Amino acid sequence: MSDEKQQVSRRQFLNYTLTGVGGFMAAGLLISPIRMAIDPVLKGSSAGDLANVGLAVDDITSEPQRIDWTIDQVDGWYESEVNRSAWVYRNENDEIVAFSPVCKHLGCVVSWEGSDQHPNEYYCPCHDGRYYKDGTNVPGTPPLAPLDEYEQEVKDGMLFLGEPKPRGEA
Amino acid sequence: MKWRKADLQTYFQSKEYIDTVIVPLIPFGIASDVEAEKAAIQAEMITLLSHELEKELTGRILLAPIYSYLKSADRQTEIARMNMWSAEMKEQPFKHVFMLTFDPSWKKYEQELESTLLWLPAVQTGELNSKEMQKTVREQVGQMVELIRAYWQ
Repeated sequence: MSDEKQQVSRRQFLNYTLTGVGGFMAAGLLISPIRMAIDPVLKGSSAGDLANVGLAVDDITSEPQRIDWTIDQVDGWYESEVNRSAWVYRNENDEIVAFSPVCKHLGCVVSWEGSDQHPNEYYCPCHDGRYYKDGTNVPGTPPLAPLDEYEQEVKDGMLFLGEPKPRGEA
Repeated sequence: MKWRKADLQTYFQSKEYIDTVIVPLIPFGIASDVEAEKAAIQAEMITLLSHELEKELTGRILLAPIYSYLKSADRQTEIARMNMWSAEMKEQPFKHVFMLTFDPSWKKYEQELESTLLWLPAVQTGELNSKEMQKTVREQVGQMVELIRAYWQ
C-alpha cells in the first residue's frame, strides 16, 4: 500500500514546486504593469461620486422639500465635510427634480415659499430674488439665471445626488 | 462673503448689494479652568454659527474676522474699540453692523454700542459634532436670518 502511494518522484516534486513558485513570482511581476495599463477600467465610474442623500423616492411629492446631506471634499489644503442642500420635488411629468438652493445672484440660500408675498416660488431673502417652481428665474428680479440642478440617480428606491450643474437660459 | 481673497473679489464687484457686516465676539481668558472651557466652547460655537449664517446670507453680508477680547478687560475700553470698528465699517458704507455674541455681559452695554448686538443664549450641553447640535444650530441660524431680515426692511 505504501508503495502505491509514492507516485510522485523526488524530481517531479521539485518540478512542481519550482513551477508553482516561479509562476507565482512571474504573476507578481506582471500584475503591476498590467494593473497600470488597465487602471482607468479599475477606477469607479463617475456615478460613484453621487451621494445617498437619505431620501426615499416614495417620499418625494410635488411639493418641494429641503434635504441636507454631507460629502467629503478635498479642496487644495483642506479635506473637509461639506454640507449640501437641495430642494427636491416631482414635476408634472413625474420626474424627480433637485435644485441647488444657492441663489444665482450672489449665492444666498433660497427657500421654497420663503416669502408670504410670493407663494409657489423660491425666494431669496437677500435681495428679493425669485424663481418659479421649475427653477427658472422670475424676470425683473436680481438673479439672471435659473437655479442649478443636481445630477441624480435612483438606486434601490433611494435618491442619489452628485454635483449641481448650471442650466442655460430658459 | 467671508474675509478671504476669493470672496472679496466678488464683493468689490457687487458692493452695492452687500450692506451688512457680522462681527463675532469671542471672550478669552485662561485664569480659571471652568471659565476657559466655557469661553472655548463659545468660540467654537460662534465660529460654527457665524459660518452657517454666512452661508445662508452670503450675497448680502460680510463676515468680519473674529473680534476677541480679554474676559477681564475693562468694558468701556472695549466698547470704545468696538465702536471704532463700527465707524470704520459704516464709512464703507455698510448700513448694518451686527455684533454676534454668547457673552451676556454685553447686554448691559447694548445702548452704548453703535452697532446692533445679537446676543444668543449659549447651548453648552452635548457634543459639537452631534446630529442634535447640528439641528440646534440650524434652527438658531434660521431664527437669526429672520431677525436680520427684520432689520433689512
